[in-house]
Amino acid sequence: MATATASKSTYGTSKKTKGQILVDWITTTDHKKIGYLYLITSFAYFLIGGVMALVIRAQLAAPGLEIVQTKEQYNQLFTMHGTIMLLMFATPLFAAFANILMPVQIGAPDVAFPRLNAIAYWFYFFGSFVAVAGFFTPQGAASFGWFAYAPLSNTTFSPGLGGDLWVFGLALSGFGTIMGGVNFITTILTMRAPGMTMFRLPIFTWNTLVTSILVIMCFPPFAAALFALGADRRFDAHIFDPANGGPMLWQHLFWFFGHPEVYILALPFFGIVSEIFPVFSRKPIFGYKTLVYATIAIAALSMTVWAHHMYVTGSVLLPFFAFTTMLIAIPTGVKVFNWIGTLWKGSVTFETPMLYSLGFLTTFIFGGLTGVILASPALDFHLSDSYFVVAHFHYVVFGTVVFAMFAGIYFWYPKMTGKMLNERLGKIQFWLLFLGFHITFLIQHWLGVIGMPRRYATYLPEDGFTWMNQVSTLGSALLALSIIPFLWNIYITARKGEKTTLNDPWGYGRSLEWATGTPFPRHNFTSIPRVRSESPAFDLNHPEAAGSEVQTAGKKKD
Amino acid sequence: MKFNGNLFYFLTAFYFIDAAGYALWWYNSNGGYEPIGTAALAMLGFMSLFLAFYIKNTDKRQGKVPEDRLDANIEDGDSEIGYFAPWSWWPFFLSAFAAICFTALAVGWWLFFIGFPLALVALIGFVFERSRGLNAH
Repeated sequence: MATATASKSTYGTSKKTKGQILVDWITTTDHKKIGYLYLITSFAYFLIGGVMALVIRAQLAAPGLEIVQTKEQYNQLFTMHGTIMLLMFATPLFAAFANILMPVQIGAPDVAFPRLNAIAYWFYFFGSFVAVAGFFTPQGAASFGWFAYAPLSNTTFSPGLGGDLWVFGLALSGFGTIMGGVNFITTILTMRAPGMTMFRLPIFTWNTLVTSILVIMCFPPFAAALFALGADRRFDAHIFDPANGGPMLWQHLFWFFGHPEVYILALPFFGIVSEIFPVFSRKPIFGYKTLVYATIAIAALSMTVWAHHMYVTGSVLLPFFAFTTMLIAIPTGVKVFNWIGTLWKGSVTFETPMLYSLGFLTTFIFGGLTGVILASPALDFHLSDSYFVVAHFHYVVFGTVVFAMFAGIYFWYPKMTGKMLNERLGKIQFWLLFLGFHITFLIQHWLGVIGMPRRYATYLPEDGFTWMNQVSTLGSALLALSIIPFLWNIYITARKGEKTTLNDPWGYGRSLEWATGTPFPRHNFTSIPRVRSESPAFDLNHPEAAGSEVQTAGKKKD
Repeated sequence: MKFNGNLFYFLTAFYFIDAAGYALWWYNSNGGYEPIGTAALAMLGFMSLFLAFYIKNTDKRQGKVPEDRLDANIEDGDSEIGYFAPWSWWPFFLSAFAAICFTALAVGWWLFFIGFPLALVALIGFVFERSRGLNAH
């Protein structure tokens, strides 16, 4: 395959100076490098958001503490924790994995629009910086909660530059996300290798496609709503004025974005574990097509459920949204069934990526179950805005994003850097993370049931919340500790990690990234193997298995 | 690309039906109509329709491409995939200047007058970076 690239050599002909390396990263249009930029930046935001969470947990460790000096600062902390974790960590993390892997999985040399890809990243980079820059202003960052309900988010109730920066920073970063989505869709539709039909795409690529469609459906309304809010705050518009029904308009627009957003966070990470389960079970994915249709069904339905966040406003159609919300449980159940079916009777081994994928599965199923509880209006009226909701969405979002992120990093690290991460440290980290997470958040379900509201800076001893909060805070410390073995792992792997040059270091890789060099060559392939199923690399490396299970995957005729 | 087009036609049908169902259900239980959700769902339908129409039409004009054939070999594809910019300064500058403009909306117009001309220059630079003139490749 020939790709006309101008003559800038990227291979080590001579050693580069530090400045050259910096310029290389800033001016890069290579999808993998942009992916690494996304990965590094979003992980940095993960750490920043995590530190905020620790301060929040410390503040709640006992009644009446004043670790956070003012209640306003506490409001800023949870607002920015939510904003950072969702829009600066999890969403760009999708772009990170999609950028690094999707073009390789479809057998393309790059994404369709490499420079647009770079713009998408830099919009995210600068936009996020603008949004968190509120912390450097005298009044501090935005403090109206990450969903910025009107009229709380107007200048009467939340004056200050921090809120304005939040609005316009997120708008900028949102445009970056939209561009990324358009780029991914175009790439998947037009740049597949010959023979790579839609129903031979790896599940991760499918999920990237569906997630990108969700992005272009739900981010534009959000950008519009943010500009309207910005006009209200800065130019005295009255779009979200309570006098003309503004609060409901904002909530509708925000959740019309906000609900699909959590599926934007979930679907690509479902894709990651769908890549990992077959490799460590030595079996093809069980029910490839149902998995694809389930993904499409989840995405289509997820645009129609937004008002289940608004049950307690009393002015939404309760039965409609309860019905559509519970409907989503069906395709999600199909997916879980497929994952378990993949494990069933496979030769399962427990390398770190597999461990994290199983951690994902257990955690996510738990969050899904409490989701069905919250979908019922009768129960939601009691639980809304309590710690039960906090526990629910941490199970769902942390379960998918963080567990699958570590699964993906451990799984593809050799392809990205040419070195295997340390397995022992990986397992230590997994158990710390798993236990820490469940100790922190399981107890919060009961906290919510006995009535602890979210977003309160403190509570009274008489409330009876104390011991549960202490358990939770203890768990969060353990959770934070689990990041240390990971960072240590990255460090020692860079120093003296086990090098690998095998195309497929795990031995049973299925999609095309396992059929190319380690680490990836500049335009991904020196040669592409023939594509005859959804697992071309497996067919190439294990010809002895051909004719049996390999042949059954994928469609027989056009 | 048969399935791609059909995927978006499926979404079109789904969202139009959903919008109609939502509007009727609301009318039945509350009377009147709920403008925000109905409009949003209907517009999703229109967007899906545009995409479906475009993809189907392109597909028809293009005929059968190797990436949609089950028995295609790698050498059946075009040997020349396209031109990929090896590096570019413009994305960085365009984004930085766009960020100044967006910050200006939050901070004050004076900053906008600094950021906007810069962003304009960067935008022109970005658009014409690889351009060799009209209809020239």
